[in-house]
Amino acid sequence: MVDVEQAVHPPLTPEVAQAVRSVEPRPWAQEVGALARRWFIQLSRDRLNLVFSVCQPALWLVFFGSGIERAVNARVIGTSNYIGFMLPGVISLTVVTNAVSGAMPMLWDKETGYLDKLLSMPIARSSLIVSRFVFQFALGCAQVVLVFVVAVIIGAGIAAGPFGAIAILVVAGVLSMASTAVFMGLAYRVPTHGTFFAITGFVTLPLVFMSNAFVPVDAMPTWMAVVARLNPLTYAIEAMRILVLEGWRVRVASSFGVLVLFAAACLAVGTYEFRRHTGQRVDERR
Amino acid sequence: MMSDVKFVIEAKGLTRAFGARRAVDDLDLQVEAGDVFGLLGPNGAGKTTTIRMLTTLLAPTAGSARVCGFDVTRQPSEVRRRVGYVMQNVALQTNQLLTGRENVEIEAALRHLPRRQCRERADEVLDLVGLLPHADRLIAEYSGGMRKRLDLAGGLLHRPEVLVLDEPSLGLDVQSRHRIWDHIRGLRDEGTTVLLATNYLDEADQLCNRLTIIDDGRTVVTGSPADLKRAIGADVVQVTTNAADRLRVAIGGEPWVQRFVVTDSGDVHVYVDDASVALPAVMRLSLDHGVDLQRVTYNQPTLDDVFLLHTGRELREMEVSA
Repeated sequence: MVDVEQAVHPPLTPEVAQAVRSVEPRPWAQEVGALARRWFIQLSRDRLNLVFSVCQPALWLVFFGSGIERAVNARVIGTSNYIGFMLPGVISLTVVTNAVSGAMPMLWDKETGYLDKLLSMPIARSSLIVSRFVFQFALGCAQVVLVFVVAVIIGAGIAAGPFGAIAILVVAGVLSMASTAVFMGLAYRVPTHGTFFAITGFVTLPLVFMSNAFVPVDAMPTWMAVVARLNPLTYAIEAMRILVLEGWRVRVASSFGVLVLFAAACLAVGTYEFRRHTGQRVDERR
Repeated sequence: MMSDVKFVIEAKGLTRAFGARRAVDDLDLQVEAGDVFGLLGPNGAGKTTTIRMLTTLLAPTAGSARVCGFDVTRQPSEVRRRVGYVMQNVALQTNQLLTGRENVEIEAALRHLPRRQCRERADEVLDLVGLLPHADRLIAEYSGGMRKRLDLAGGLLHRPEVLVLDEPSLGLDVQSRHRIWDHIRGLRDEGTTVLLATNYLDEADQLCNRLTIIDDGRTVVTGSPADLKRAIGADVVQVTTNAADRLRVAIGGEPWVQRFVVTDSGDVHVYVDDASVALPAVMRLSLDHGVDLQRVTYNQPTLDDVFLLHTGRELREMEVSA
């Protein structure tokens, strides 16, 4: 039945029909590219936003890290390289704050109705989310690379070498996807942006403090260690910290594995909320 | 090929409930190819809800709708490919730091035009809405009217078979409004089918060859503006007075009075065969009965009278209070 109708109804003009056919194998990539372009162009014009976003983690590392270093007992954290110890904590703090600000455009798109405009076009819904991941990941990479450079300048190397640095980028990328998915899910869930800011303001910093960002799990009281173990950040930080302080170890893989499981769950939650929000609408798969 | 499907938009018993409230209730629509079809009604009548169902953004609670022969719930992507949708509120706040051209190019890519055609086609549609000279300015600098035209340009990129416009001139100054109207006339002349939701009577009167008046989610009446007005079969004498009841006594019994309607605002609409004869008679009889008249005018029937006739309420009044 569908075929018959399609035969009756080709797109209006032959050149448009030809155009659509000729790109059929990669429309999804084109959609993701176009939507990501929307984010990248706007960030590149928002210089202040760009400078503050990219420099923020480096600033944390230098001022917070260098300052606290003197007050920290090297035996508790298990290394005299406090900057190296701090580095993964700073990266994950950055990733989480990025995820919150990264979800905000979804909130605006939802509230201004631009999301509806996008949904009225013949595009895959996943491209809406994936394009934002691409953007978040690229921004995160720029931040992490800068923070590496700063860390090296102030005297903390990465034990696992250049490939270790790349591995850290991958870990940060997975954490970024997980937290972006959760906060995007929250953006779709909340009735107004006021709720979004109330919740994220409440959650963001505790999420970091209730992990091993600044204190190793081994040095925590048992109850705190339990809480930290339930926090995906802990596993991301652990994997990164081993790469920075010790080099390639098997525990990197196990921590990363747990992180990936958490990330998959976060992605499922985010996708569920996105589908729920757009559920009033007609779903492609019906 | 279009002749195989009789109606470009066909809705049968289209219904959408939000909880107990039926925003759209058992609506039938039949829009033919080349129509500029108006959906006229006061705010909250169900125009946008209807449009959201037709553009696959909202699933109907009951009934069905086909656009270009495709069912909106079962073949949404086919519908999306053929429809251009220009929303009521221009939602470009999140694209403020894009230029007009970039904004349209991105939408072109989302319509899956090949890369090299995106730029070309973007320029074409920008030119069509008169924005080419401003194409490289940031949207942040655009006025409300320019944003609306930019949004319209985006809706034209893929040469849609149906263009759906939700309140295209809402909140615009007179000049911008007329520009939008000119564009819509241009599209009509090219044979594009347009579904136009509006609560402006003059807009519907100026642009539409057929329209459905809806109120409270239901169809009130459907027809061409001229037919609807002709169906009233009369001229309308509008009288402003504090003594509507006494005026009714004074002239209500006259043979040339077809209908005597007191509107919500207290004005009296007297439907008469021939206003040029009725006007002096109204004045003379009022004088005889000592009815004080503040103002007497006479009009050809407007769509407002059509609405008044069918609902007992004035559309114009609701516009003002809305």
